Amino acid sequence: MKILVTGAGGFLGRYVVRCLLARGHSVRALIRPASSAPNWGSRVDTRYGDLRSELDLPSLFDGIDGVMHLASATSGNEDTQFASSVVATERLLDAMTRSSVKRLIHISSLVVYDWSKAAGYMDENTPLLADPSGMGAYTIAKVWQERLVQDVAKKAALELTIARPGFIWGRNHVNIAAMGRRLGRSFLMFGPLTRLPLTHVYNCADCLVAMLENRNSIGRIYNIVDSDDVRVWRYVREYARRTHQSGALIPLPYRAGYWTARLASRISRTLFGAKGKLPSILTPTRFESQFKPLRYRTELLSETLGWTPPKPLDQCLNDSYSMEREDEDVAQPVSLT
Amino acid sequence: MSRSKGVIIGCGAIAREHLTAIDSIDNATIVGVCDLSPTKAQATAERFGVPTWSTDFKRLIAGHTPDLVHITTPPSAHVSIAEYCLAEGMNVLCEKPIVTDYRDFEKLRLLAKSRKCYLVENQNLRYHSSVQRIRHLISDGHLGDVVDVQIQLFLNLYGLGNPFSDDNTPHFSRALKGGPIGDFLPHIAYLSQMFAGHITELHTLWSTRRSGSTLPADEFRALMRGTAATASVEFSGNIQPNGFWLRVMGTRMSVEADLFNPPRLSIRKLRPGEQALMTVFDGVAEARDIFRGSIAGLGRKLGGTSSYDGLKESLQHVYDCLRGAKDQPITLEEIDRTTKLVDRFTEVGLST
Repeated sequence: MKILVTGAGGFLGRYVVRCLLARGHSVRALIRPASSAPNWGSRVDTRYGDLRSELDLPSLFDGIDGVMHLASATSGNEDTQFASSVVATERLLDAMTRSSVKRLIHISSLVVYDWSKAAGYMDENTPLLADPSGMGAYTIAKVWQERLVQDVAKKAALELTIARPGFIWGRNHVNIAAMGRRLGRSFLMFGPLTRLPLTHVYNCADCLVAMLENRNSIGRIYNIVDSDDVRVWRYVREYARRTHQSGALIPLPYRAGYWTARLASRISRTLFGAKGKLPSILTPTRFESQFKPLRYRTELLSETLGWTPPKPLDQCLNDSYSMEREDEDVAQPVSLT
Repeated sequence: MSRSKGVIIGCGAIAREHLTAIDSIDNATIVGVCDLSPTKAQATAERFGVPTWSTDFKRLIAGHTPDLVHITTPPSAHVSIAEYCLAEGMNVLCEKPIVTDYRDFEKLRLLAKSRKCYLVENQNLRYHSSVQRIRHLISDGHLGDVVDVQIQLFLNLYGLGNPFSDDNTPHFSRALKGGPIGDFLPHIAYLSQMFAGHITELHTLWSTRRSGSTLPADEFRALMRGTAATASVEFSGNIQPNGFWLRVMGTRMSVEADLFNPPRLSIRKLRPGEQALMTVFDGVAEARDIFRGSIAGLGRKLGGTSSYDGLKESLQHVYDCLRGAKDQPITLEEIDRTTKLVDRFTEVGLST
């Protein structure tokens, strides 16, 4: 297949391109003008452009069999993220629905769920956030982006699969929000025994390509989590050990943090009404979305796609913290299980 | 009494500030929002409980016949939208800079006059709480005669995720003379004129400090002689941390306002007595001002008060004048002077 990959120059995008190439597909990679393209070789048709601005979008779809839509912003203010994720998707889908391409894998996120309504575990049936306006810029953008994709896919009868990865981690991306907060040289962990919804970037890319290749995934939504065996304590300890951090690791009970946030929220409402603003760590819904102790069900991936993460945790850890340069610029065969 | 009706065209960050401000104004309500992006318009309407949204501003206006049209699009779209609205007999409140070229303002001004409509540029810092305090200190005679005005604006133009320096999709301010700095020139112009009077002499210096920068400039200095006082401006896209300072120096008192962190304002005034002792009193008084202002500023942030200080008061004033069938609160002549000065700022020393 020939696959259009948006956001191909990003952290996940580079792994997805490599994985597609390793499985024999060819790729049209859309890279933002200010980014540099890796040396992918002749099977990648690299196009430079930004989905937010003028770009010959219709020609992107010529000869394409499917789209892997990864383009999204992870930093910047609310406007920047909304434009990069939502407005960009609007323009992409507008062009896609005018083309003959129907297959779309959309990369969403676990942040679209209403974490306060997840009781005990999270899976694809967990209720979604109805009103994201009180959340951070990333969450607002991802919620609206997914709503848009679902809406357009329904109207245009696209063959849509939505992937909602957990925390995507890997080399140079080992800091995740669920680790807690730094306090000087120390690390505060809210709920050290909380299970983390991690997916290593290598595994996540492999999973996305598996979705693309398996038509069972059409019309489905998948959470991508390698496993929920890793707890905050272990992840932070590995991080501290492997990056030679000498500060103290301070575990705090999740409930202590949560009730502090609830108390702060109550005081804010009493003093300032609905307009009151608090830092994310003192906003109960945002605290929950980062630290709530849950289990993560992954049965749907194994039952419908037969997918299990190809790279075990220890290998992911070694790869992520290795000082050796991983040659991401060359399409390497990916060992498949 | 029914509320005045407004519509907002352009659903970016400043539109959210307008919506938040209007929410706390009793006599006005926003009945529709518009953006070229349907999802953005819908998300904005849903978030602020606005009953209608559209991607076509002409249709939105025709459907609501609003009392006031708020134009909050990027500046390059201001003129065509304002022109259409004024021609339709609508009152217009436009975000700064109202035009990107002074000649366009002349055209809009004539149209507004002939159609007897408001054409107001949002100059919210005129209503900023600290600016108002300084004005009162002057009008009450505490400050004495204004001798000099200093405006310092430090804003990181190059940080991670900073839209000003995003080379992937150029920020709207790239279309302005002076680039991102141009977006702030109206504030600088009308603040200078408020305290220094009509500017009769102007010297400017534009430069780009950051090597490899694609911005037209990241540093700007201006030195002005006004009919009432001198004024100087220092805009830096490199100095950190960010800050926006207004200092007004008079014959009896100097006042320094931190415009990014209202109500922080410190006053230094002449004190009779032993100079060494008075220095201590001055220090204590300044520390007290800063401490009080910082605590009050924290309270404002926690209380969700808009970072666009003065916007609510500015909008309230416009709607009050509309309801009272009064002249527009910021006159066309004042906006004309601001726009002319902005043009003069960029006339010399700016590479194009």
